[in-house]
Amino acid sequence: MSVPAADLLATVPAQDLAAGEGAASRARGWLRTLEIVVPGSLLAVLLFFCFIWPAIYHIPSPTVGDLLQVNAPLWSPGHILGTDSVGYDIMSRILYGGRVSFEVAAAVQAIGLVVGGLFGMAAAYRGGWTEAVLMRVLDVFIAFPSLVLVLAIADSLGPSETHVIWALSAFSIPAFARVARAATLRLRDQPFVVAARLSGTRAWRIMFQHLVPNMAPQLLTFSLLGASLTIILEGALDFLGYGIPPPTPTWGNMIATGQSFISVFPRLVVVPSIFLLVTSICLNMMGDGLRARWGVR
Amino acid sequence: MNTSVPVQPARWPGSSFARRLASSPAVRVSGRRLLSAIPVLWGVTFLTFLLLNALPGDAASALLGINATPAEIRSFSIKLHLNEPLWTRYGHWLAAAATGNLGTSLASPQSVASIIGSRLPVTLELVVYALIITFVVSVPLAVLCARWPRGIIDRLCLVLSMASISIAPYVLGLLLVILFAVDTSIFPAIGYTSLTTSVAGNLHTMTLPSLVLALPLIGFYTRFLRADLLEQMQSEDYIVTARAKGVSEWKIVTRHALRNSFIGLLTVIGLNLATLIGATVIVEEIFSLPGIGYELLNAISNRDVPVVEGIVLVFGIAVVLANLLTDLLYGVLDPRIRHVRSRS
Repeated sequence: MSVPAADLLATVPAQDLAAGEGAASRARGWLRTLEIVVPGSLLAVLLFFCFIWPAIYHIPSPTVGDLLQVNAPLWSPGHILGTDSVGYDIMSRILYGGRVSFEVAAAVQAIGLVVGGLFGMAAAYRGGWTEAVLMRVLDVFIAFPSLVLVLAIADSLGPSETHVIWALSAFSIPAFARVARAATLRLRDQPFVVAARLSGTRAWRIMFQHLVPNMAPQLLTFSLLGASLTIILEGALDFLGYGIPPPTPTWGNMIATGQSFISVFPRLVVVPSIFLLVTSICLNMMGDGLRARWGVR
Repeated sequence: MNTSVPVQPARWPGSSFARRLASSPAVRVSGRRLLSAIPVLWGVTFLTFLLLNALPGDAASALLGINATPAEIRSFSIKLHLNEPLWTRYGHWLAAAATGNLGTSLASPQSVASIIGSRLPVTLELVVYALIITFVVSVPLAVLCARWPRGIIDRLCLVLSMASISIAPYVLGLLLVILFAVDTSIFPAIGYTSLTTSVAGNLHTMTLPSLVLALPLIGFYTRFLRADLLEQMQSEDYIVTARAKGVSEWKIVTRHALRNSFIGLLTVIGLNLATLIGATVIVEEIFSLPGIGYELLNAISNRDVPVVEGIVLVFGIAVVLANLLTDLLYGVLDPRIRHVRSRS
């Protein structure tokens, strides 16, 4: 039954391959590489300007406003992106705000990767009731509207960067646990793991030397996609007033304060929005690109 | 070979129907799923209760304001039963909730059920409207993309969907407000007209909020549906049969592949519902729509525990039911799955 179907289908990719032998496949390969290199270098530039540029070049302080230069337009001398309604330099607030976004994203993903990854892997490797209990706990977190959880934690801990990180970790830990669990279940009965187990390798050694290297690409791409989500959620917390409060600059609270002036000075909202969007697109594109390259699902 | 006549179990008309119903895979699956949902929902309410009690401040001081004297706060918290230990309060709430009574709001004399009843329709309308927009846009787009893979439309869709997935709901909301409410006043920036007052007015106020919810979904569903369509077109026998019969490519995509891809799309919607509900909180806050998410933010800041518990419970039940419904529909739409399941 399925033989003629397979034959018919085989012709399609074969033609594709024959045509793609020369320039076309090389072009596609380049495109693949560009898909990773372009967002990657954009992110590198953003990171450079957020973390290193303020140290080597003098930029106006993000929290000292000049009341004589309020609401300066774009491209004003000394203030490339203008100033806001208190006279703060928008460019410098964007850069320092970007620091917060990147720091929060990196910390939340790292905590999720280590804690959630270990839990998920250990539970799936051991199986039995450990896994059953973990899965029920994960179900609770999934049935729970994540934003509510994050709001409640952020509100109970009070506004600060560390607390936002803890609150958002409550979101990343179960996500990583699920991915690590699925990956472990897939790998657990593979011949090389069975062979290792039969030759008497200890469980922790199997996990760290055999399982971790094999699921690392998947977890890494997942953390890039997660970082984009974290940056968006961090902004949402600021936006709803549960995040990092002004005058500390973050993209989220810049958008939230700009909201009151939206009809007069839309750029107060548009400028941080563009940075947020570009960062999140770059992280998503890189995650997708690496996922395609490493062939992980 | 066993030649003896198999013994037929005795049949009574009434009980055979009951037995058939009980042995029907759909009923068995829903029964099992609903039972396993109970500990999950319990966990959700318990977690909420613990979290709300860990918050600094309580309902008494939040509701009386900063000018209240300590004596007033004390008597008010006795009236609200806030002086009782945490376990007693949770026990009372749980016992009442198990019988369907969600209690009374601490902030107003209204019952939690009536608050949810008045707020839920707004959120439901928002979600349904957003899903309709999503379907109307993303199904034709996905079909166009799958008809000419790697064509111009396909590439454009890929870029746009990446952007729409990456955009934060508050950013999208404010940008749409700038475009449609500030620069051109096509839609209002805030406000709500109920469906019963005026249908046109309601659509006028609900379109922008629904668009904010729908745009990221459009990006996601278009990509998902396109991938699923292409997979169907490349690997399924019935597509080969259709091609061999000389059915046109258009008809193959729209009639044959699309029907099967809808099954996959359905599961994704079921799984997405929790995220969608989370996004309604932000959307309702931006456009100040009197929905359940708006009420939730209010209740959290008022430390109004019964209302928060009630809303979280409704969210949890919605997610559980959506997932169950998805699974059941899955079996209805794809007979292969139904037969595999009933055999096992």
